[in-house]
Amino acid sequence: MKVLLPEILEMLWEVWEQNPGAEVYTGGTDLLVKLREGVTWPPALICLERINALRQIWEEEDTVVIGAGTPHTALIRHPLIQVEFPVLVEALKVLGSPPIRNMGTLGGNIATASPAGDSLPALYVLNAEIVLTDAKGSRTLPIHEFITGPGQTGLGPREIITGIRLKKTAPYTVSRYEKVGKRKAMAIAVASLATCLRLSPDGRIESARLAWGSAGPAIVTSPEIETAMSGQPLTPELLRGLIPAVEREVSPIDDIRATAVYRRKVAANLFLRLSGISEGGASA
Amino acid sequence: MKRDALPNQPRPLQIGEPIPRADAPAKVAGREHYAVDYYAEDMLWAGVKRADIPHAVFRGINSEEAEKVPGVLAILTAKDIKGSNRQGVARKDQPVLVDDRIRHRGDGVALVIAETREALREAIGKITVEAEPLPGVFDMEEALKEDAPWIHEDHPGSNILLKGHITKGDGATAFETCTHVVKATFELPYQEHAYLETEAGWAITEEDETVSITVSTQTPFRDKMEVAGALGLPMDKVRIIAPYCGGAFGGKDGITVQSLLALAALRFSGRPIKMWWEREESFIASAKRHQARCRYRLGADATGRFIALEAEILYDTGAYDHLGGAVMALGLEHAGGPYRIPHTDLKAWAVYTNNPVGGAFRAFGVAQATAAMEQMVDRIAEKVGRSPLEIRRLNAVRRGDTTPIGVTLTTSTGIGRCLEIAERHPFWRKRESWKAKAGPFRKRGVGVAAVMHGMGYGPVIPDTANAKIELTSEGSFRVACGVVDMGQGNAHTFLQMAGDILSQDLSRLELVLPDTAWTLPSGSASASRTTYTYGNALIDAANLLKERILKRCADLWMVTDPKELALVPGRVRHLPSGRETTLAEVAAFMDETERTTVAHYRAPQSPQLPDLEPNLRLHGIPHVVFSYGVHIAGIEVDLLTGAVTVEHYLAVNDCGNILNPQLFEQQVQGGIAQGLGYALMEEIPVTEGEMKTVNFSTYLLPTFLDVPDMEVIDAGGNEPTGPYGLKGIGEIPTSGPLPAVANALFDACGIRLERFPMTPERVLSALEGNRP
Repeated sequence: MKVLLPEILEMLWEVWEQNPGAEVYTGGTDLLVKLREGVTWPPALICLERINALRQIWEEEDTVVIGAGTPHTALIRHPLIQVEFPVLVEALKVLGSPPIRNMGTLGGNIATASPAGDSLPALYVLNAEIVLTDAKGSRTLPIHEFITGPGQTGLGPREIITGIRLKKTAPYTVSRYEKVGKRKAMAIAVASLATCLRLSPDGRIESARLAWGSAGPAIVTSPEIETAMSGQPLTPELLRGLIPAVEREVSPIDDIRATAVYRRKVAANLFLRLSGISEGGASA
Repeated sequence: MKRDALPNQPRPLQIGEPIPRADAPAKVAGREHYAVDYYAEDMLWAGVKRADIPHAVFRGINSEEAEKVPGVLAILTAKDIKGSNRQGVARKDQPVLVDDRIRHRGDGVALVIAETREALREAIGKITVEAEPLPGVFDMEEALKEDAPWIHEDHPGSNILLKGHITKGDGATAFETCTHVVKATFELPYQEHAYLETEAGWAITEEDETVSITVSTQTPFRDKMEVAGALGLPMDKVRIIAPYCGGAFGGKDGITVQSLLALAALRFSGRPIKMWWEREESFIASAKRHQARCRYRLGADATGRFIALEAEILYDTGAYDHLGGAVMALGLEHAGGPYRIPHTDLKAWAVYTNNPVGGAFRAFGVAQATAAMEQMVDRIAEKVGRSPLEIRRLNAVRRGDTTPIGVTLTTSTGIGRCLEIAERHPFWRKRESWKAKAGPFRKRGVGVAAVMHGMGYGPVIPDTANAKIELTSEGSFRVACGVVDMGQGNAHTFLQMAGDILSQDLSRLELVLPDTAWTLPSGSASASRTTYTYGNALIDAANLLKERILKRCADLWMVTDPKELALVPGRVRHLPSGRETTLAEVAAFMDETERTTVAHYRAPQSPQLPDLEPNLRLHGIPHVVFSYGVHIAGIEVDLLTGAVTVEHYLAVNDCGNILNPQLFEQQVQGGIAQGLGYALMEEIPVTEGEMKTVNFSTYLLPTFLDVPDMEVIDAGGNEPTGPYGLKGIGEIPTSGPLPAVANALFDACGIRLERFPMTPERVLSALEGNRP
């Protein structure tokens, strides 16, 4: 199988044109699994890892733009990402294992569009926008519009993800990502929850952003729950009262890793865990 | 004198020192050649078409399409096999390639030989199997029913491969006298060996018609006999070469690729042929730890003294024996653990089904029995109101006591000492304050398990080794080791023994790995007997050689008493005068045959239980030498997810005298890690004989983050029959973690599971009050 390594985007469009049916990848951490299983066997592979423009991180006014080919490890170590988007860093820290985090990229995790993708709940709570580019130009879609189902996205033919745009906001008091897998590393999330909370000095929730992974065909968010939390003190009673809503919002499946019953229960319990955040608590 | 103080002076290897293993650098750097690492210019590839039908009458294959694949050279079936086409250690019931009946999905029906691996894969995919499906048997209890389909028609009577029944004292009637009685059932899962190196090797038929097979195996000499028998070859025409194994854990205790490779090599004489199972094939075709069902009843008096034990253990041996009878027998012998129990009624069965093959796996049937028994002990402790260590101390066997099957313990018995050390350990003493520090939504618990493991082949099969050591013409020593090192480190230990006796450093010691053409038969790398048995032989061989060298030197120097001479690194020294000569010079004065010594050792075999059913004795009951241990696990349970985190782990061991503390620690820690996998996550769901997890994306092994720091304590034993006082250590650590964690789970949350492993989902369900 031919592997092509364009070094600039213009070259990419050219080699893609010459190799219709080629599959595009960067780190290969998802693609290689599929190749080994024979799920896909394209005539050629186009690797994007040498396109420098895809590995940059820069600021545009109130927005940070992350090149889609940035490996997870680079993001975890990046001071700007650590300061502005700790929830994303938390999520990437538990993605796969060190070698996978070194190879895998943020764009790749989005393109795979698995409901278990660890970066996705964080990107949902951060209202990420996905920059899509083809030979003719670029367009931008909110992540929840880009991902349309398990493994399904709005990616056009011969189009790639080039960037992820994250708006800087007033800092959250709490930024956390909790993942439940069947072991502590190299595990696919059985359920996960990304949470950003802004608490007032007296412990009231000024704003809440929540996103569950592995709890439905796509990442699950709930404006209803977020609204219900707003203005309330963060207490176990508040969270307990909202558990029926969580159980309603999620629609998990049975598979070899866990039953839907367990996933639903844990999705609610992860929510309940937020009550453990101490008053005025720093990000846990 | 000053010279000796220089740091780079050769330092003779000495027993008891934590010397880093000699095989480590090459392995870590990737220089070591495992069986899987061999490639040659004109090498062919061989591979197997698997039946993927659980039970059927085999009619043949359709290989028309496969034969058309470019690069395919031959497709062989059972018809091409001239010998018995049967393999197995106790019962030869497993075909090399199916000839009459398909008995599990992993059965091989055809052998394909191709120029490339790609052509091989494509051709295998194009072969279809012609078979008449038969009703399958997938549950052990079903298999025992009178009207169950019969899996081996030639096996007299039923689907019971082997059963054992041992009673002691008044048997189960003694329960009438017990104050406390507890009863429980345990369902234990399959466990995959999950060695890094899957089954692999290469073979070539030499000009003299010898088939040389280089293979990842634990049993080179037995392989030679099995291949010869199955393929109808003279014994002297099969040669097995066994490099370091990339892991085995019992999974390579028996034939994997050997006969298939030989069959291919016979067809294409002179050409090297390689076989290398992919991970999925390894899952489907290899043996696993038997899934088991244990029913236990334990009774004690008012003080907690054990009175009666009843146990029924069913082992699912799947389609073939594959040491399943021996696994069952060892489980039966250990069913009651290291305790004094006057009255027992113990039963075990190894049952044929159409499930994956159950076979040898580190802790060989004992892991299942211990998982059950140790949780029973905790249940009694709870009823009586005594601490888990107290109840164990009260009932632990001492030398001179009889085991639960009635064998008098005549060798070192250190369980009592292990319990005392555990009880004094700070983690145990301060456990309540540690438990109290669990965070919100979390609970902590501490659990104990006592373990015991018999060593060697038992009373009938000779447990022997033959060591050979040579003084080379260059003046170094070459140890010819006929027993495999599958990663546990015995090869290094042998060098350490030879180095100690001969006073030589590592640079003057060579090791010849097993090769049936050069090394001597020394049995399998298994049964916690490898270092014990071969080590005893090697000590004799090395002492013999030392004596011979010193005597020859005494003759040369006209010294009356050879005791005036000593071996030092690379030299012989006359102690009174300080005169020296190099070992190379000494070698020059010796004939080639004189420079080699050999010694034979046979491990002690028990004369006890003479009335035991002969077949059970043949399968290994009873043993003479036992190792002991006490494990303590400190766990934290997440009440919101059911996840169990093992935070602390402590293992106190009586494995006799420790020859190399570093290797000892590695063995114990590796066993604990494997045991924690068994306790917490490893399982293979099987439906209609089909495994639902066939690679490491769904069959989960513990990672570094899932295993805590493990404290390994040597209780300081000494077994006089062992080499330098050593006892077996390879298997015993694996049995402890499951019951220790299960008991800790009860201590933390008051729940007990019936089905294992203790996955977050099962734990959470039990926390919610569901039936386990």
